[in-house]
Amino acid sequence: MRVPFSYLDRQFADIDAYLNDIKELVKSGDFTLGKPLTEFEERFAELCRIPYAIGVASGTDALVLSLKVLGIGPGDEVITTPTTFIATVGAIVMTGARPVFVDSEDGYVIDALKIEDAITSRTKAIIPVHYTGNVADMPAIMKIARKHKLVVIEDACQAIGATLDGKPVGSWGETASFSLHPLKNLNVWGDGGVIISRSAKLAEALRLYRNHGLVNRDEVLTFGGNSRLDTLQAVIGNRLIKQVKFITDQRIANAKRYDEAFADMSEFIRIPKRRPGVKHVYHLYIVRAKKRDELLAYLNENGVEAKVHYPIPVHLQKAAKYLGYKKGDFPVSEEDSRTIITLPAHQHLTNDEIDYAIEQVRSFYLKSGSHRISREK
Amino acid sequence: MQMQNIKIPYVNIPGQHAPIKAELLEAVGRVIDGGQFILGSEVSTFEQRFAELCQTRFAVGVNSGTDALILALRALGIGPGDEVITVPNSFVSSTGCIVLVGAKPVFVDVRDDYNMDPAQLERAVTPRTKAILPVHLTGRPADMDAILKIARTHGLYVVEDCAQAVLAEYRGRRVGSFGTIGCFSLHPLKTLNACGDGGVLTTNDDALYQKLQTLRNLGLQTRDNCVYWGLNSRLDTLQAAILLVKLKYIEAWTEKRRANADFYRKALTGISGLKVPGERPFEKAVYHTFVIQAERRDELKQYLADNGVGSSIHYPIPIHLQDVARGLGYRPGSFPITERQAERILSLPVYPELTTAELEYVVQVIKAFYGV
Repeated sequence: MRVPFSYLDRQFADIDAYLNDIKELVKSGDFTLGKPLTEFEERFAELCRIPYAIGVASGTDALVLSLKVLGIGPGDEVITTPTTFIATVGAIVMTGARPVFVDSEDGYVIDALKIEDAITSRTKAIIPVHYTGNVADMPAIMKIARKHKLVVIEDACQAIGATLDGKPVGSWGETASFSLHPLKNLNVWGDGGVIISRSAKLAEALRLYRNHGLVNRDEVLTFGGNSRLDTLQAVIGNRLIKQVKFITDQRIANAKRYDEAFADMSEFIRIPKRRPGVKHVYHLYIVRAKKRDELLAYLNENGVEAKVHYPIPVHLQKAAKYLGYKKGDFPVSEEDSRTIITLPAHQHLTNDEIDYAIEQVRSFYLKSGSHRISREK
Repeated sequence: MQMQNIKIPYVNIPGQHAPIKAELLEAVGRVIDGGQFILGSEVSTFEQRFAELCQTRFAVGVNSGTDALILALRALGIGPGDEVITVPNSFVSSTGCIVLVGAKPVFVDVRDDYNMDPAQLERAVTPRTKAILPVHLTGRPADMDAILKIARTHGLYVVEDCAQAVLAEYRGRRVGSFGTIGCFSLHPLKTLNACGDGGVLTTNDDALYQKLQTLRNLGLQTRDNCVYWGLNSRLDTLQAAILLVKLKYIEAWTEKRRANADFYRKALTGISGLKVPGERPFEKAVYHTFVIQAERRDELKQYLADNGVGSSIHYPIPIHLQDVARGLGYRPGSFPITERQAERILSLPVYPELTTAELEYVVQVIKAFYGV
């Protein structure tokens, strides 16, 4: 059996509807900031229960533009965590600001208790990452932000549909950034991103920034860049956004199936803390595993496309050298990078496929160890 | 005059796509079947073909023409404290990219061909100058020999803004092959156009090619190793597939544009109050826009519109007079040729799908306006 990590071929089992939509768009020639984009933005805002959504070229750009409209640049510091995809940090560097790291907690999100120690007179913003689809401790983070007068940008690139105490991600920060990359829960067929905000003023500034700073065809108010969500991609997004509930529910069910199966294997597999009140959407199903690299190879050999997100924490990347961090600075993040493994959990997997993946994990430890694991609860 | 029912829009993208729609949709279908939406074979094939087209060794597909410029400057290490010399009569991107990397734009005026005046370059060079950014505006090549000579004298990089100039030639060589890096736009309104935003860079330098490939993909050298901080600026695979279809036609389309330009040039030469763009023997312009200079420009534009002919102005406000450029210290009068042109320029429809009858009609309307 093969348990694939990507589900794109299954998503497109019936593509005629999509192709028809594309045909209509090609007929209209409305390729830049067209009507389907406005519709998609409205739907996205509604989904996030927020007034404004602005489509941009990628999740990375969603972060860069958020930082820019909030006036963050050279001389400023922005706090985030090294347990993330490099884009979070790259976005900070691209604005000319300096990233400052705070370790993550059990669950791959920033450890709110450690944030205050990292604040200096130059700190301007915090970017908590709702990594893997888990939700960072936003009430605690907002309290710190208010106390120190910092702005908060939520990196929700992996967390569409996630909630904390019933509130969707994006409810706390000045803005929140989402990715629509092909492998995300809500995806388009190329790069894409969305920024959401409650502020009409920020929304207006973001629309300016994503389109060269043009107030109209001929007048430039600010030097922006070009970062528009393609209308063609919005056409795809308009179809897929209707599936977000199904996608989320299915991923949660798959994660639960794994969690239950691994409950009696704590010696080998450590499930992260599942905080009460969090609706985790499992963009990535990640656990810590003993002998991770061997398990990874074993699973891949046996058709289970497990992966590692990511083996090198951002503060130890070559690009981060100038920041002066070293091994040992962020023990949780570093331990994660050595031990975490990502198992396929997407919405198109069948229970049989998940069970097969579980079976392979079990047989790896049974075969390699003297420990007997009971399959019965 | 008032002819009934004639409508000639300034641009006509549906008209371009109608005859190749089946091919376009088939290309899109193939990408969907493959399930590879980020980079992959369509992007690399497009890059190879585009490099061949530009007579360069390498091409790198990115998210837009603006990003191409930003990434070019970034790859060359240009940033705060540096100056880049460019022109004020272009689309705002060619200056925006300089500001966005933290450098300072310095303008020089243009000549009658709407391109950088090399005679003014020397005076604009300071110890902080790092690069010259000429724009091949309207699809006509800038005076590259003179620009490259000054660049060499002062040890400056040359970043060519070829956003409007795919296939344009200067002394037998294609634009994008002269400078350190060439930057192209694939925006829907360009001559080689995607169905969304897109851009591409060209270079002959191996190291820059490697760096650009990494920079457009978040600085990732492999899936897990990040060597530079970079943006996410990839040409969509879906768009690359669409562009590969269009590459088959771009040379024919360009020839048709040139023929249309020729038609206008012959028909409109000699009308008093009107100036048509020329083409020197060693130039091959591709006419992304066909820009005339007209007395009573705004009235002519209105008259054309009243008679069903769309036209456009590229661009009515020079960059140095935009709100955003206030901090740069320029004022009205700083660049007299650019400013005078901004009041007189008008772009006529020139796309390949225009029929002879339509071209004749446009000419007829213009002649009627000037009473000839």
